Amino acid sequence: MAESICRALRDGALEGEHAPALTIKDSIASPFGFHVFCHVLSQLSSFILAGKSQSGGLVVVSFSRSPSFYLELLKNKGIDVVSSDKRIQILDCYSDPLGWKDRLIEAGNFTALSHEASNSSTANVLKDVKHMDKLYNSIVERGKGLIGGGKNRFSVAIDSVDEMSRHASTSSVAGLLSNLRSHDQVSSIFWLLHSDLHEARVAAVLEYLSSMVTSLEPLHQPANGHRGDLENLSLIEHNLKKGKFHVRIKRRNGRVRVMSEEVHIEQSGISFTSLSSEGAINQGLVPKVQFSLELSEKERIDRANVVLPFEHQGNGKPIQIYDGRRSLADSKHERQVAATEKVQTNEDSGGGEIIYFRDSDDEMPESPKASI
Amino acid sequence: MAAAKTRTSSFSRNLSAAAPSQGPGLKCGPNGTVFLSSGISDLDKILGGGFPLGSLVMVMEDAEAPHHMLLLRNFMSQGLVHNQPLLYASPAIDPRGFLGTLPSPAASKDEKSHKHDPDQEKGLRIAWQYKKYFGESQLNFDGQRDGKHEYSNEFDLRKPLERHFLSAQRVDCVSIQDSPNLSALQDRSATFLSQYPRNDGSISCAGRIAIQSFSAPQCAYSNMEWDMLSFIRSLKSMVRSSNAVALITFPPSLLSPSFCKRWQHMADTLLSVKAIPDEDKELSQLLTGYQDMVGFLNVHKVARINTQVPVILDATTFSIKLQKRRFLVLECLNQAPVDGSSGTSYGTSGSCSGSSKTGNLDF
Repeated sequence: MAESICRALRDGALEGEHAPALTIKDSIASPFGFHVFCHVLSQLSSFILAGKSQSGGLVVVSFSRSPSFYLELLKNKGIDVVSSDKRIQILDCYSDPLGWKDRLIEAGNFTALSHEASNSSTANVLKDVKHMDKLYNSIVERGKGLIGGGKNRFSVAIDSVDEMSRHASTSSVAGLLSNLRSHDQVSSIFWLLHSDLHEARVAAVLEYLSSMVTSLEPLHQPANGHRGDLENLSLIEHNLKKGKFHVRIKRRNGRVRVMSEEVHIEQSGISFTSLSSEGAINQGLVPKVQFSLELSEKERIDRANVVLPFEHQGNGKPIQIYDGRRSLADSKHERQVAATEKVQTNEDSGGGEIIYFRDSDDEMPESPKASI
Repeated sequence: MAAAKTRTSSFSRNLSAAAPSQGPGLKCGPNGTVFLSSGISDLDKILGGGFPLGSLVMVMEDAEAPHHMLLLRNFMSQGLVHNQPLLYASPAIDPRGFLGTLPSPAASKDEKSHKHDPDQEKGLRIAWQYKKYFGESQLNFDGQRDGKHEYSNEFDLRKPLERHFLSAQRVDCVSIQDSPNLSALQDRSATFLSQYPRNDGSISCAGRIAIQSFSAPQCAYSNMEWDMLSFIRSLKSMVRSSNAVALITFPPSLLSPSFCKRWQHMADTLLSVKAIPDEDKELSQLLTGYQDMVGFLNVHKVARINTQVPVILDATTFSIKLQKRRFLVLECLNQAPVDGSSGTSYGTSGSCSGSSKTGNLDF
C-alpha cells in the first residue's frame, strides 16, 4: 500500500488535472508520521534521480528539521544530494523562520554567529514564513530553478504543515496548498501533519485538499487510559514499535480505495507488512437491515443435512423418504385414526426438518361425516 | 409515487400570459411554478420536473469524491444550451478555465433507445426488477422529439461544449478565493439577478447562478460562518423574487455542525453526493450494478413553492453511474436477490427500495 502511494506520487498529474497530494497524518498514540514522511521522501528522490518519475526535481520545505538532517538521510539511503543538487533543493525554514537573527545583528547586540557549514547551494534560508504568498513564490522559484521552464515539473515535500499553521491562518495555508496543487509545473506534493496539534477542522481541511490520506493508528488501544497499569505500559511500548497504516485514495473515477497495512519501526527504517487480522474496513453505506442476509454456521450445516422430499435424489438409488404415508416408527395406526394433523418428525440428525404431507393424504377415506 | 402524481385540485391559477412562448428551457408545473432543467433528466424526474424558478438548490459535497462537479457541469451546460445566462463563482483563480470542461449535448437520442431493443428479444427475463423496465418504454417515447429543442438534454461528458456557447454575454465568472468578504460576490449576484425580475407577466428569460465549493478552505472568508450564512440568506431572498435558480455546492465536513444544519435549512432543494469505496466485496454482493456505480446521490429536500403539500419520494438514495463513461444516469438502488426472503428486499428500509422512475402504475 505504501508502494501504491509512492507510485502515485511518482506518476504525477495528468494534463489539466490537479497534482496528486498526500497527507500523512499521525497522532500521539502512534507517532510514526515522520518516519513515513522520510520513507516517502527517499522513495520519491530515488525515483527522480533515476529518471523514472514525471517530476524532474524535488523541493523540500523543511520546517521541523534542519536541512543537514535531510542531507544525511538521503546520503544514508544512497542518494548523494550534493552531486545531484540539480534535482533536489531544500528550502530552509528551520534555521531562522522569522528572521530573528538578522534583526538581532542589526540591533547590534552581538556579532554575527558563525554560520553552520551548510551547503549553501542546497539550503536556501527563508526568513519570512508568515506570509504564505512569499513562501509560495519561493517554492515555485526554487522549483523552476531546478527544472527550467517548459513542460517539466517538480515535486514538493513539506516537512510539516503544523509549523505553517502556527504562523498563518488556516485559509492562507489552504490557499498555498491548493495553489501549489493547481500550478502547471507541480507534479506531486506531500506533507506531514500531527493531528493532535490542531483542531479537528484543520485536519478536515487538509484531507479535503489532498487526493490521498494516510493515517497512523495504534495496533492496540490501551484500556481506559490508565497509563500506570503494567499491561497498558507494555501495550504502549508495543504501540511505539508498530502501528496500523490506513490509506484512503481518491481515485479519478470518484471512488475511494481504502487499504490498511501494518507498519514496523526498526533500526534501519520502516517496513510495511499486510495486516494480520482483517478488520471491517468501511462502515456500510448501505442501510442496515433488520434481517441477516447470511446464514450462520449452524444454519448452513442444518441446510446441508436436510433431505428434500423428492423421490429421486439423483445418487442412483431409490431413497426412502418419510412422506407421511408410512411411519418409520411403529405407531402408524393411531395416526390414521386421528383426523387432525399431527406433526411427525423425521428421524434426522441435526435440526433441519422438512414436514411434508402429500396432498393425497388429506383425502379422508370414505368415512361418513358427522352429521348434525 | 408522489413524485409522479401532481395533485390537481379544482382551484387552478389563471395563467394568463405565462404559459406559451417560453421556449424549450422552461416548463410549467403545478401551483404556478415554472421549472428549468437540472441538466440530468433522471434528476428532473425525481424532483418532479426540475428546479423551480426562484429556488435555491444546495448540494453537499463529499470531500472524497468530485461528484458535485458532475451536477454543476450538467446544470451549467443545460443553461447555456438553452440560452439562459449564467453567473459562475468558484474558488479557483481562473474560473474561466472550468468552462472548457462543460459537456456538450449528446448527438441524438436514437443511439440510446436502440440499445434497449436487443434486450427485449430475450425470451426469459427475471421479473423481480420489473419496475426498471417500465421506465424504458417511457424513455423511448421521449426520444421521439428533436434533440435540440428538448427541455432536458443528455450531456456527453467527454465532448466539450462548443465555444460559441461560452461567449461573455452569457457567462460571467467570479473568483471567490481572494475576496476577504462576500460583499463583492453579493453585489455581482444582485446585479445579475436584477436582470430577471419576477412579475406576473410572461417570463422572457431565466438566469442561473452556480457557486462551486462555497466554503472551500482557501477562500479568505471561509471561517466567517455567520457572514456566509447571511450571504446565503440574502441570495435566497433575491432569487425568490427573480426568475432564476441558484445552485450552491459546499463541503459540509469543513463547517461546524450547527452551521451545517443551518445551511441545510436554508436550501429549498437539498441534495448530497457521496463517494463509494472501491472494490468493496460487501457492497458488490448487496447491490446489483455495483461495478458501474461511481457514487451515491441523496435527495434530502425537494423545493415546494406555493404549496403546502410535501413531496414524499419512494426512494431518496440513487446511484450515480456513467454509461459508457459519458452519460450520467441516476438509478435507484436495487438489492441483489436474497436467499429465500425476496419479499422483504423490496421493503421499507428507507433508502433501498422501490423505483423512482415515474410511471403511470402506482406500485
